[in-house]
Amino acid sequence: MKNWLHTIQQNKRLQALIVGLYIVVTFFSLYLAQKSVVAFLLLLSSLLLLYFTTFSNRVKWLIGGLVMVVLLPLAASQGEAYQSYMEVATLVGIYIAMALGLNIVVGMAGLLDLGFVAFFALGAYTYGIFATGQANNFMPFGHYPLSGESFWVFIFIGCFVAALFGILLGVPVLRVKGDYLAIVTLGFGEIIRIIFNNLDKPVNITNGAMGLASVQPPRLFGIDFMYPSQFYYIVLVILIAVIFAVRRLEFSKIGRAWKAVRENEIAAQAMGIHLVKTKLMAFAVGASFSGMMGVVFAAKQTFVDPTSFTLLESITILVMVILGGMGSVPGVILGAALVTILNLQVLTELTNWLNQLSLNGVISVPDALSPAKMQRFIFGIILILFALYRPQGLLPAKNPVFNEKELKDTDKLVNAGVQKEATQHVHLDS
Amino acid sequence: MSILTVKNLTKQFGGLVANSNIDMEVQKGSITAVIGPNGAGKTTFFNMVTGVYQPTSGEILLNNESIVGLKPHQVTKKGIARTFQNIRLFGAITVLENVMVGMHNHLHGGLFGTILNLPRVRKEEKEARREAYRLLEYVGLESFFNEEARNLPYGAQRKLEIARALATKPKVLLLDEPAAGMNPKETSELTKLIYNMREELDLTIILIEHDMKLVMEISEHIVVLDHGEKIAEGTPDEIRNNEKVIEAYLGKGAATTAS
Amino acid sequence: MINEVLHTLPQVLIDGLTLGAVYAIVALGYTMVYGILELINFAHGEIFMTGAFVGTAILLTFAGFGWLASMPAIVALILVLVVTSVVTGLLGMGIERVAYRPLRNAPKLITLITAIGVSFLLQDIVRFIAELKNGNYILTGPSLFSGQIGIKASSISSIFNDASVKSSFFIVLIVAVIMMVTLDFFVNRTKWGMAMRAVAQDRETAALMSVNVNKVIALTFFIGSALGGATGVLFAIQYGTIDPYIGFILGLKAFTAAVLGGIGNIRGAMFGGILLGVLEMFAAANLPVVSHGILGAEYKDVFAFAILIIVLIFKPEGLFGKVSVEKV
Repeated sequence: MKNWLHTIQQNKRLQALIVGLYIVVTFFSLYLAQKSVVAFLLLLSSLLLLYFTTFSNRVKWLIGGLVMVVLLPLAASQGEAYQSYMEVATLVGIYIAMALGLNIVVGMAGLLDLGFVAFFALGAYTYGIFATGQANNFMPFGHYPLSGESFWVFIFIGCFVAALFGILLGVPVLRVKGDYLAIVTLGFGEIIRIIFNNLDKPVNITNGAMGLASVQPPRLFGIDFMYPSQFYYIVLVILIAVIFAVRRLEFSKIGRAWKAVRENEIAAQAMGIHLVKTKLMAFAVGASFSGMMGVVFAAKQTFVDPTSFTLLESITILVMVILGGMGSVPGVILGAALVTILNLQVLTELTNWLNQLSLNGVISVPDALSPAKMQRFIFGIILILFALYRPQGLLPAKNPVFNEKELKDTDKLVNAGVQKEATQHVHLDS
Repeated sequence: MSILTVKNLTKQFGGLVANSNIDMEVQKGSITAVIGPNGAGKTTFFNMVTGVYQPTSGEILLNNESIVGLKPHQVTKKGIARTFQNIRLFGAITVLENVMVGMHNHLHGGLFGTILNLPRVRKEEKEARREAYRLLEYVGLESFFNEEARNLPYGAQRKLEIARALATKPKVLLLDEPAAGMNPKETSELTKLIYNMREELDLTIILIEHDMKLVMEISEHIVVLDHGEKIAEGTPDEIRNNEKVIEAYLGKGAATTAS
Repeated sequence: MINEVLHTLPQVLIDGLTLGAVYAIVALGYTMVYGILELINFAHGEIFMTGAFVGTAILLTFAGFGWLASMPAIVALILVLVVTSVVTGLLGMGIERVAYRPLRNAPKLITLITAIGVSFLLQDIVRFIAELKNGNYILTGPSLFSGQIGIKASSISSIFNDASVKSSFFIVLIVAVIMMVTLDFFVNRTKWGMAMRAVAQDRETAALMSVNVNKVIALTFFIGSALGGATGVLFAIQYGTIDPYIGFILGLKAFTAAVLGGIGNIRGAMFGGILLGVLEMFAAANLPVVSHGILGAEYKDVFAFAILIIVLIFKPEGLFGKVSVEKV
């Protein structure tokens, strides 16, 4: 088995053949068997297969892009289930972006945030309030709802508002030491939900528990975005931007500072790292991803209310990060996809199947055991088992591998050795 | 010229006096050793100089400028770097990245520059990688550059702490028991390294060390602490023959018996 | 406005004391575990909840057999308390053994994550069992002490309104006080209590002094969980209706109480619990009055969290804790 894998790893042509064949086969199975959720999931997993190949990053991105932009929507578009497939894919994208945000906070900077969904809520309400008549209640100027064209600006506003609140919440919260942070963020998550739930008086800002209904759909060149198949592309674009941003931050000065703080706060400070500033940046960047996706979520659901932003949601996102691998970008993407699909597809399908069996009298499964209700049980088990036996997750975080040739000076100053340091310093300082 | 001046430095933890009225002058370009029995308050002294603890009273001047009240990262910016007695590396990241963390304040890639991957940031990162590699070469760890720091052998971890501290471009380097746990061969390499750093990098070095051979060999000035107080200071020869010092290490009466 | 606040004060104090007693005992579980392992045992709130369900289940079974009518309420109560505390005590020990002990030297983050996992798992297991047996996971137990007693506070001063008290209030208070006094005695006066304090101070040194550290930690979990479970029973008796999700927020507030009193400090936790209970009831009764209806009673949870955050920021050692210095 090992030998066999090794051979494949050596041979790029063979890999191309396998991946290509896999994509073609799963594409046509979904194309022809529209009702097969399995085919849909198999086509999605081609991305995982692609991840394990040894192609260059550029090639991987190109093939992945082709699958996501063209093949998946095309294959799914042939039947009635089209919109529900795209709905799943869209939600997967939204959760991946959020999980990547939480991954910065928990995985890279090592700060356990149990109220992360609050930022998602902020994004959703930011758009929800201004894209419904709600804003008329308290805004002294302007006519609301704003048109769907404002949606594109609101993606950035949502990003900014969430980041701002990340900083505002972070300033007091981050003064709290280590494990207290978990409980304080949990408290903040609840506070924000309670406030949204009650902010219908004295001035009706959030419409309280009733929520905000008929949020304006995004509009571009006169076309309204109403269907999941359209939102899919919005989410895809944002998601790709988020992945690029995270990847670049991860191996930069900022990412190293996050990891240093996670590994050893005292040593990090001794290296000149400003502890609070570094943690705040992790909070803000992580929150901003959630804020953007909150805006998209509000527009997609056309309805916002506080029940979408409970503690269970925060823990769900945490499960995605732990399952995939703390600090690992590919891992977290996988974890988020698995958990979302489990939540939306597998559990409901299983429940339907079991109900069918009960109806036919094959076996009788009590309603209490219906898989759709077992989320907490499943998440609890995942958290415990992974913490105990595989804390690094499914796809553990990898360190960058540097190229020795690039590190050694090619210019002839090598022998000058340390003497050269001095000049180099000046150069960098200036 | 004195680069670091300490006046009347005192630290109390509740009723416990960890450091009491310590005075010290460290000459620019010198190697100074702080020695004393276990629990004499040496590390507490380092912690105050680097801003980890705030002194109860007293003054610390770097180039005649007070650094009391600064946070540890600010002290580092002022030009004081340190290593730790109980090694504190960033275990899960690579050796090269550990050194690059040390360059934190000398890199200017901001949030947006990094996300947009501007050429300026890319160039800076590339230079930083090269410089980190050179520092690893300097302490003799270049072969480990892609390893996770926690997988290094013990002696190499101590050297990596030094390389990482050098990356902050300090004027004053504080080494807290750099030779602890090293074998004689490693210790003699380290001795050479400390000596070279001072000669080649324009550094002032203060070290806490229990290995007296190393201390006597390289330090020009020795300060002896006992029970939080400075009991003696001087050249290695003076300290070797100081009765109070012998007494502190070996107990009362040892000085007379020895002589 | 002051008058309005004063009118309700007697009722607020009584309700606050009841709730505070519950917080106080649950807080003990957090504080003991934190003192010894430096771990926030998120699952402790769920142990409390499990206790409430176990106790209610026993009472319902008794009622089903018709025994409840034939035995004095106080006997039933003692029986239920004893059985429940043994069950939850063992549950707590089991959780420690399976989920926390293997991670004792792992990073703190990992242990916290397991704790959350355990907490979720317990919620769902209890929900599942309750729903399976009962058809619904919201349970209402038989009322043991349902008499109402009026307190004529207006006779003390005309500014107070009269207050009414369920007779279970006294039961809750008395049992709570007995538990706290016993625990205090145990920790401060017995050999095992001394071993517990020793392990909390310095695990390694205690081990060198031939203290069996694992045993002491297991014992700590047993006692903390037994107390938590028993409090669950009291809660069910006092408030009647329970569901599998009562433990999380209540646990969070009990943790706030523990922090308020200085984490690791047993007497502090008791005081913190009572204080938080009274403050919360006070807030629930008076926030709408003081803010002229802008802030509803729902904000009482916000109020409790705000206390937690303020304490952690400005006085992390709590009202009675000692400042600790991190060794570098």
